[in-house]
Amino acid sequence: MKKFLLVAFLFIGSQEAFATVGAPCGDYGECDSFKPELNNMESLQLGALTYINYCYGCHSLKYSRWGRISKDLDIPEDIFNDNLVFGVNVKLGDRMTGSMKPAISETWFGIAPPDLTLVTRLHGSDWVYTYLRTFYEDSSKPYGVNNMVYPGAAMPNVLASLQGQQILSCKDVPLIASNGGVRRDEMGNDITEEKCGYLKTVEESGALSVQEFDEVIFNLVNFMTYVGEPSRSDRERIGWYAILFFIVFTALAYLLFREYQKDYH
Amino acid sequence: MTQKASGFFNWINARLPIVNTYERHLSKHPVPKKVNFWYMFGALASVVLIIQIVSGIWLMFGYENTEEGAFASIEYIMRDIEYGWVIRYMHTTGASMFFAVVYLHMFRGLLYGSYHKPRELVWVFGMTIYLVMMAEGFLGYVLPYGQMSYWGAQVIISLFGAIPYIGESLEIWVRGDYYISGATISRFFALHVVALPLILIALVFMHLVALHEVGAGNPEGVDIEKHLDEDGVPLDSVPFFPYKVLNALVAIGIFGIVFSIIMFFFPEGGGYMLELANFEEANPLSTPEHIAPVWYYSPYYAMLRAVPDKLGGLVVMGAAIAILFVVPWLDRSKAASIRYKGILSKIAMTIFIISWLMLAWLGTVPVTALRTTLSIIGTVIYFAFFLLMPIYTSIEKTKPVPERL
Repeated sequence: MKKFLLVAFLFIGSQEAFATVGAPCGDYGECDSFKPELNNMESLQLGALTYINYCYGCHSLKYSRWGRISKDLDIPEDIFNDNLVFGVNVKLGDRMTGSMKPAISETWFGIAPPDLTLVTRLHGSDWVYTYLRTFYEDSSKPYGVNNMVYPGAAMPNVLASLQGQQILSCKDVPLIASNGGVRRDEMGNDITEEKCGYLKTVEESGALSVQEFDEVIFNLVNFMTYVGEPSRSDRERIGWYAILFFIVFTALAYLLFREYQKDYH
Repeated sequence: MTQKASGFFNWINARLPIVNTYERHLSKHPVPKKVNFWYMFGALASVVLIIQIVSGIWLMFGYENTEEGAFASIEYIMRDIEYGWVIRYMHTTGASMFFAVVYLHMFRGLLYGSYHKPRELVWVFGMTIYLVMMAEGFLGYVLPYGQMSYWGAQVIISLFGAIPYIGESLEIWVRGDYYISGATISRFFALHVVALPLILIALVFMHLVALHEVGAGNPEGVDIEKHLDEDGVPLDSVPFFPYKVLNALVAIGIFGIVFSIIMFFFPEGGGYMLELANFEEANPLSTPEHIAPVWYYSPYYAMLRAVPDKLGGLVVMGAAIAILFVVPWLDRSKAASIRYKGILSKIAMTIFIISWLMLAWLGTVPVTALRTTLSIIGTVIYFAFFLLMPIYTSIEKTKPVPERL
């Protein structure tokens, strides 16, 4: 009975119950995986530079402070002030409240660009990493671009000058047989079928190659992951000490317990 | 000097029963000498209670209980207060761990019949603690004022509206406004940090007083009071201090390891402890696609959703909690422990566990037709386990319970 129920539950469960509502990265399907490198200072610094130059004009980081970033990312204050802080009245202790007034930006974009301090925690770094790389040309949209992860996004492809033109294209993909293998014709050639919806970058149309652009986005999202939780690398470092402490504590407590247990065993 | 010190001690002791209390509740309080790991969760629950109280007080230093400031103040704690993130994660991890240890503690009670005579009141006080904890957890979850705080509160408070006649007024009374607002946050804050913790501490005190009056149970269901030595101390017992305290200390160490792993490496608990939607400030104009409770409410949320009618769902959910209170009177078995109960109890327990876990999972995922059916099946099994308990525990053949531990 027990086993039957378990099997029945697992069977039913595997069929429909586990179906998810839509893929995590929209039309793109599964998100590309992103592994943050929060101790890679160079990557974080480059990411901060990209953010300030390309994103900060519209997207504030209002829970974060300038000085904290300069300190955490090992950027000397004078260099930080000269290259990353724009505006004469900004002090390092200030919050990064952005430079655009929401009322104005709302008339420009239809919706005020959201604050991005916590976006990597809200959607996940994977999602942001994929989103930023999946803009494609779509003349039916107001900014001439659409996004695969977030179709209809009200955001222009700000990084297009680096990435170049990305378009949706079609390609021949092998047909998969029911046994999981590639289907072949009598001659032993793979049977293919044309499928569309693949992203393709027009060569030489941007300042960077595909790999270089991916790296820029990696650094950017790495920085955004840091901003989402600036204490994360501290947390993971201190965590080991906490665990070590409790292991020693448990060992000592156990030895003491065993000693006293002799009284009644 | 020593004489002076002991003179001072005697002066105090003549006016405050220090020695008496120490002996009665610690050094001479008899506890069964053989118990297993299941008996550690009560001690762990009190450790988490202390963690929650201390970290909660520290959180209050930085928290702002206003509609405009609540969400930002959490980020202020996480970023600008030195080690504020430690305090905050301690509290959020603590909340989940509190429920985890309490669920295991309750399950221990079911498994070994800890509610059997004369421990009925210990169980009832415990269940009341659980009920207050559920309210406490809900109120606390609203305070960060993220999207899930807001919409979760919306769902739960609107349940009051399902009560006939007084529902709508009650809803407004609970919220303190026509919609969830700053008024709701400030009253939830007061209840979360003052009112319910006071009640909780009082209940824990009663739980322990009642427990120390009747003595702790054991996995065998043996009554250790039957065999006493010449001083009237049970033969199968050891004093609580230092023996069981050391036992608990080992458990606390292991618990500390688990707690640290979660708190420092998985503070979001995969979105089940800190829901990701809560990293966005509450927005009354945008409903999240999928509103799910934190994991510890999910079995009851699944039951709520299993019933198409709102009032019906509320009644079912309420009854699911209420029925736990009367378990001591539903179990008619001669044996307390599952070890000596019959096959029917064992089957019932197994099915109950599976269906409870299934409900817990169903409560966290979006609804589909099949999942609703599964929720209904789970709910029926949940109630059948308790309602049929008087029957299957009285007709089955139990094994003889040993005399000694």
